[in-house]
Amino acid sequence: MATTSELDRVSMVVLRYMRGPVFVLIAVYAIGITGMALIPGRDVDGNVIYMNLFHSFYFFTSTATTTGFGEIPIEFSDEQRLWTILCVYMGVIAWLYAIGSILRLVQNPHFLLALREHRFAGRVRRIQHPFFIICGFGDTGSLLARGLSDHWLRGVIIDTDPERIKALALRDYRVDMPGLCADPTVPKHLLDAGVVMPNCKGVVILTVDDEINDRIAVMARLLNPDIHILCRSTSKRHIEHLRSLGRVTIINPFEIFAQLLSMAITAPRLHNLNSSLVHNPHVRLGKPVDIPTGDWIICGYGRMGKWLYRHFVMNGIKPVIIDPEASEIEGAARIINRHADRESLIEAGLSHAAGVVAGTDNDHVNLSILMCVKSLKPDAFTIVRQNQHEHQIAFDATNANLILQSSLTTARRVLKHLISPQVEKFIDYLREQGEDICEQFVLRLQDMIGDKPPHLWHNVINDDEAAALNAYLHNGNSLTLEQLTRDPHNLETTIACIPLTIRRNGQCLMLPSAGEPIMAGDDILFCGSQQGEVMLSASMNNVYTLDYLISGRDKARGYLFRWLEKRHQPVSSQT
Amino acid sequence: MNLERVVFGFVIILALTFTFAFVMGDIDNASHHNVWLLTIAILINLIATGLKLGDRSQVGALLLASSLVVDVLLITARVIWVIDENQTALGPNPESMANIVSLAGGALLASIVTVVILVGDTLISRR
Repeated sequence: MATTSELDRVSMVVLRYMRGPVFVLIAVYAIGITGMALIPGRDVDGNVIYMNLFHSFYFFTSTATTTGFGEIPIEFSDEQRLWTILCVYMGVIAWLYAIGSILRLVQNPHFLLALREHRFAGRVRRIQHPFFIICGFGDTGSLLARGLSDHWLRGVIIDTDPERIKALALRDYRVDMPGLCADPTVPKHLLDAGVVMPNCKGVVILTVDDEINDRIAVMARLLNPDIHILCRSTSKRHIEHLRSLGRVTIINPFEIFAQLLSMAITAPRLHNLNSSLVHNPHVRLGKPVDIPTGDWIICGYGRMGKWLYRHFVMNGIKPVIIDPEASEIEGAARIINRHADRESLIEAGLSHAAGVVAGTDNDHVNLSILMCVKSLKPDAFTIVRQNQHEHQIAFDATNANLILQSSLTTARRVLKHLISPQVEKFIDYLREQGEDICEQFVLRLQDMIGDKPPHLWHNVINDDEAAALNAYLHNGNSLTLEQLTRDPHNLETTIACIPLTIRRNGQCLMLPSAGEPIMAGDDILFCGSQQGEVMLSASMNNVYTLDYLISGRDKARGYLFRWLEKRHQPVSSQT
Repeated sequence: MNLERVVFGFVIILALTFTFAFVMGDIDNASHHNVWLLTIAILINLIATGLKLGDRSQVGALLLASSLVVDVLLITARVIWVIDENQTALGPNPESMANIVSLAGGALLASIVTVVILVGDTLISRR
């Protein structure tokens, strides 16, 4: 590879740094050993003898390292002792110099940084499975990493904040998640994170700065023209620019937020299903929230307030807005240019309001609005925006009807995309079909998994994920979804899974019927229980289980019984 | 019920019991160990190995591997017996007898592993 990464840099630095000390050591050794071999000694009879080179090397090694085994092999002459004194000082000084250099190198912060990057790049290179790069490990990033780990998906994390990366090391993820404290706008770091590796399936960019997100997206696109990029962006200018890069999914937290609210108003059942699919702990499947239409009050008209307002108006509700800085807004019932407090809420008509949105970007303000509403009008429907993930417990205690947390909704949306882009398509499809179809589906799902949270997964019918099934289909056989999802314990029932979509040749088939034949290469999205995934995977990968599902009989396994079976085949096929 | 499972289970457990019958007794006393038992155990095990040929499942591969281990150990024991048969009037002398029986003991262990795998597979099996 032409582009150099950290992998080869560290060894280069060490070698270059150690060049001086190594030369000094070699020179000192050479002088000491040569001298020792040339200086005459005397044996017990007084004859002149010389040390051979090996003995002098041995002697010098033990002396220079201050070990010193004494005068061996024979007691030294005075000349030799003189030279030994010189050897000791030379050798010890040379060694101190060398060790000192190593210590200085090890303490050098730049070297430590290079070493960390080296280790990080090494860890990423060793990832065998598909993984995603996550740039930005704030609230959203860490929630996303948790979600990925729950689905056994791998992530590689880059963040500029060293504290966050240190915290990453303490998380108990199910999979290995290497983290690097570095600037993700620098291409070298993206390369280290494996942006050009074939098993890198996407780059998720989640820092709070739109400008930086934009820069990272451009870098990632330049380095890998095919990679899927998911980028958080809230400003119109950047969104338009990002769209021009191609294969970019834009994540606008405020829009997602407002879409969810809109969904909760117009399609409560779908909202309920969507929330339970993303494992929202406050939601129980089949128990949708009922948002009243009537007079609404929106506190806070910032970026999020604008989106909420737009969706309210789309749904035929004209809310009153309380915001100190909001100016002329088209279609608003009334605008109150004050901070949201007890008086302004009463002025906005809280006594006859159906609901209140506490949507400022300050959690303490939102909480106090909630307290106010609870004391003045306890039966009002409350929707609250939670900005900081760490305030979770306080918000849980308020008993608000709907808590919308920007980082959480964003992380869930991204996670849905990463599990399979088909999830979002399926939700859109259900939205078009209307509430009745959605309710039927929810009942079917509840029937299958009971009160457990639904689990989403997808399988591609190929040699890696469905070996037996793929081989079966390649032999010219055909199989329907109903046959595949039969329960091997009891062929009359099915495994706890519902096929949601099938993607085939770029086309998406929604809620396929039970009789739908499966083709090789299909990408099928399932919803069901965790156990259902395990069972289905066993059915698709074990030849004998698959065969039993189709024929209802156990196939002979060994050669002998297969031969016997073949001999009896004509008889059994007639019966 | 599946005829193949019955036959294979029968053969594999029979092989285990024959091996056990041979191993029973003092380790170096030739009169405690019947060479016929050893020979029959080898034969039955070879049949078990043959029955597992062609199974493409993971458990099948493991069963085949462990029964191959049994074959190797028992045949080695039998070969030593043939070589040292005439050392004493009863058969091999105590040293080679100890070798033969400890090899058969190893085979017994592998046989137990095979049976455990078979039972486990049947228990967690779907039906």
